[in-house]
Amino acid sequence: MTSQQWQLVKEVFEATLECDSKERTAFLDGACCGDDEVRKEVESLLTAHDRDGDFMNEPIGKLIPDDKPILTAGQRFGHYEEISLLGQGGMGQVHLALDTRLGRKVALKLLPISYIHDADRVQRLEREARAASALNHPNIVTIHEIGEAESLHFMATEFIDGVTLREHLTNARMTVGEVVEVGAQVASALQAAHEAGIVHRDVKPENIMLRRDGVVKVLDFGLVKLIEEHRTEREGEVDPMLADSHPSFASTFVTSPGVVLGTVAYMSPEQARGEEVDLRTDVWSLGVLLHEMITGHAPFVGATPGDVLTSIREHDAPALPSDAGVPVELRRIVTKALTKEKSGRYQSVGEIARDLKNLKEELTVESRLKRFRHSDSNLDLSVKVTKQNLGETADNAATKTRVNNSNAFVKHLPEQIKHHLVLTGAAVILFTGVIALTYLAISRNKTDLDAGPKRSIAVLPLKPIDEARRDKILETGIADTLVQHLSSMRGFIVRSFNATHGYENPAQDAIAAGREQQVDYVISTSYELGDGHIHIRADIVNVASGQTEYIYQFEKTFSDVLVLQDAIADEIENRLRTQFATTSNPTTARRGTTNKEAYRLYLHGMYLANNRNIQDAQLAVQALEQAVELDPNYARAWAGLAYAHRTVSIWSDLTTRETHEKSIAAINRALQLDENLSEGHSALCENKYLYEWDFAGAERECKRAIELEPNSSQAHEIYSRYLMGRGRHDEAIAEIETAIDLEPTSKFNQRNYGRALFYARRYPEAVTQFKRVIAMDQNFVGTYSWLTSTLALQGKESEAYEWFRKLLSVRKVDDETVKTFERAYQTSGWRGVWREWLTKFDKVGGTNFDGAAYNAQLGERDKALEYLETVFQRREIWLTYLRVDPRLDPLRNDPRFIELLTRVEGE
Amino acid sequence: MSQNITHLLKEWSNGDERALNELTPLVYGELRQQAARYMRKERPGHSLQATALINEAYLRLVDVKNVQWQNRAHFFAIAANLMRRILVDHARRRDAEKRGGSQVLLTLDDAFAAPKHGDVDLLAIDQALTKLATIDSQQARVVELRFFSGLTVEETATALNVSPKSVKRDWSVARAWLRREIGD
Repeated sequence: MTSQQWQLVKEVFEATLECDSKERTAFLDGACCGDDEVRKEVESLLTAHDRDGDFMNEPIGKLIPDDKPILTAGQRFGHYEEISLLGQGGMGQVHLALDTRLGRKVALKLLPISYIHDADRVQRLEREARAASALNHPNIVTIHEIGEAESLHFMATEFIDGVTLREHLTNARMTVGEVVEVGAQVASALQAAHEAGIVHRDVKPENIMLRRDGVVKVLDFGLVKLIEEHRTEREGEVDPMLADSHPSFASTFVTSPGVVLGTVAYMSPEQARGEEVDLRTDVWSLGVLLHEMITGHAPFVGATPGDVLTSIREHDAPALPSDAGVPVELRRIVTKALTKEKSGRYQSVGEIARDLKNLKEELTVESRLKRFRHSDSNLDLSVKVTKQNLGETADNAATKTRVNNSNAFVKHLPEQIKHHLVLTGAAVILFTGVIALTYLAISRNKTDLDAGPKRSIAVLPLKPIDEARRDKILETGIADTLVQHLSSMRGFIVRSFNATHGYENPAQDAIAAGREQQVDYVISTSYELGDGHIHIRADIVNVASGQTEYIYQFEKTFSDVLVLQDAIADEIENRLRTQFATTSNPTTARRGTTNKEAYRLYLHGMYLANNRNIQDAQLAVQALEQAVELDPNYARAWAGLAYAHRTVSIWSDLTTRETHEKSIAAINRALQLDENLSEGHSALCENKYLYEWDFAGAERECKRAIELEPNSSQAHEIYSRYLMGRGRHDEAIAEIETAIDLEPTSKFNQRNYGRALFYARRYPEAVTQFKRVIAMDQNFVGTYSWLTSTLALQGKESEAYEWFRKLLSVRKVDDETVKTFERAYQTSGWRGVWREWLTKFDKVGGTNFDGAAYNAQLGERDKALEYLETVFQRREIWLTYLRVDPRLDPLRNDPRFIELLTRVEGE
Repeated sequence: MSQNITHLLKEWSNGDERALNELTPLVYGELRQQAARYMRKERPGHSLQATALINEAYLRLVDVKNVQWQNRAHFFAIAANLMRRILVDHARRRDAEKRGGSQVLLTLDDAFAAPKHGDVDLLAIDQALTKLATIDSQQARVVELRFFSGLTVEETATALNVSPKSVKRDWSVARAWLRREIGD
């Protein structure tokens, strides 16, 4: 065909389409100018067009999705109403649906018609699935209904808001903590099923769901069996590669030559040989799963499924890479689960479940220990730490691992723990044996926050690309706004801006900051100011891998600075929400002012208040007072002002009534403006227990604050002090641990952890903790008196004195005073020091409450009670702890003390 | 990078074909990287939005403020061809995997999945399109822009510097031609 002819074809084709179909023939007769070739071409094209006019009508993007869903949105199916398609595959489609009878969301699994044509089989499926569901185990998905509607068999199960482990593995590498957490939960589910005589047989990442709150759910018990039977019956072909295997097996798992189910990768050697399987096949699959979670790929791979099966039958599982930060214990567990011979494997899932659970607890201890590795340069503890390269470990010469060789203590640690010290080259943990042991003792069986799918994230202040065009207020403002936005997202735990404020140096290394903050991700944003616009580039950096996972770049017109901050934060929030598939909690408070200067003053004031010393707190009050003057409707600034006032009163030993009243007024104002302000409720809680002694009211407020902002470190910290005073020690310790998890670098949190232990009378642990806090910051003076008090209660007077001397030197107390104390100690021991301290009260600082405590310890009841009376008159905050402070024990039988306690706490 | 690309795009829009040679690898790298990222996340019920992807590449690579709106169409014109290559490569790989040629990536679910209906066979389209280009290269370009890049008729017309009417005609004929070529 010539190009002229082709041109004609096009024209005629187009024109014919516009004709009425009856007139087409006549039209073609005329239009084709008697050229038969043209006419034939046009007719043939018209036929193709008529057959499928929508062909390629939509751009490719919309054509890639999988099979059409059986149900569409809003469609009724039995008493269910379709909401959306969750996924689909060989086991049918899974829809999110509403159970209209019970008004709850369910996952509706529609089984392919072809699989279920036999009533017996359906019943068996139902029996087995129900049996597993009936175990009512938190890690086994609950089945609500199995039935038939509109000639389709379906299964309605609990809807799990989360992703499959497969999706998770595709998107991210898992940390050791996550691997162990998920493994332990899967093992727990299998153990319960096994005890009821149910073998899963198809444990694989596709059948495991990770809920957003970290709970793991195992799906599809019994289903695989149904499919196997169906296949056995239907498929006759056998893959030649599998000719040597058991015939029933081959037909079970081979659909057509060359296509073998992905399940082969998770098959046990006995399954691969076509032998009978028992409970131990699930142990093997769990081993494969662990291996895959650690390395990102299954242990047995091959060019063809046949190769995979051969490999499973004949080869040992490959060793886990030595440099992946895998604890020795975890290697041992995986190796044992992946033992070829059933008899050498774990004999029950219960055993592996137990090992994983123990490991999980040990890792939790370690993760706490890690928090202190940054302060090792300051360590001044009873056991000196030295860094020394021990060289290669025995099990792998290539492992570049450093351990604390000279520390004899480590040698006496239990073998497993020692292995854990040998984590990996990069994550070297140096610490003293004392800390290790103490931490083991105090570690609680508590799920580590970073074990679940929630990601912790730190937002760094913005960096200018061009230092000459820098706007510092914008830098902190955008970061603060972003923290506010991200804090409302359910999938993230965001470090408070107080914690990250300090990383304002443009040369700050993002990964180093991320390690210090112990977060999974860091958002490191740079900006460039142009004329009337700003260019933003936000790098989402994975701290563990050191890789930038996402880069968001965009431009905004530079209008009002606050509008701009919101626009930028919105943009990043939206992208993160899509990327990490999470949602926002709309009730969380936002910035709440449109006044730029008020906002700047607020940021500045909060920064000062968080320094928690008297001078800065007073400046903070000034800044925040100005802020609320500029914008009287600025709720957060009012709450901040209350906080600053309280800080002044706590740190100043001044009469507190006035500041207290100011503080209350500010809180009330804040809450009037925004009832949902978490920090307002926290402040109210603290006021109620510190000043008003309204303990029931305090607890209500604290709980409300946490409910409004579950990831607020401050809310948990304030609540933990409330609990300490109430003698609810375990709860107090749990709360302060949460606060530390959320803000690991706060030394206040760390010290309050020590106090919680102190009130719980767990002195050795408290001592270790206080020493650690001093190691973090030796100028953090309040800690010394807690430490010396604890040591004295233990009868360790000389050590108490040693630390007291350190306090004197840190405080730069004059030589003469030092000598006086020295003499007092030499003549009367630690009691002499206390006496001397009481006479020099002003010089070395302290509160009347401490005065009471020391007098009580010295046996000076009357004086102690006198001091307490002063404390009461001045309403010093320490009265909250009257009930629990161990130093006051000698007074507890005294009627005057009991009367005082009644005055504070009521009958 | 952004300035460089913007500059090249302007040059090319002004008729400098050499600029295109420099531009192509830059755009290709970006698109491929992004497509890979999207495809990793691909899952049932979710589709790869090629248009969104190209748009994102455009925003990332080009200093949007400093270019005329026509440059966007020109950028999409380059991207369309590259997107076609990326998608076809992807489909080819996926096909190979399904035939068991590479690692066992199939899941139980995949293996049981029913044959697809109403789905396009990307590899067949690609082959047919290559053949169409030998008959009418302009039509093949139109298909790339409309189908692989998701441009509207007007945008396609701008990118190819022809009238919307001619784009409409080419689009209509090309689809019928391809439909016939691919057959059943």
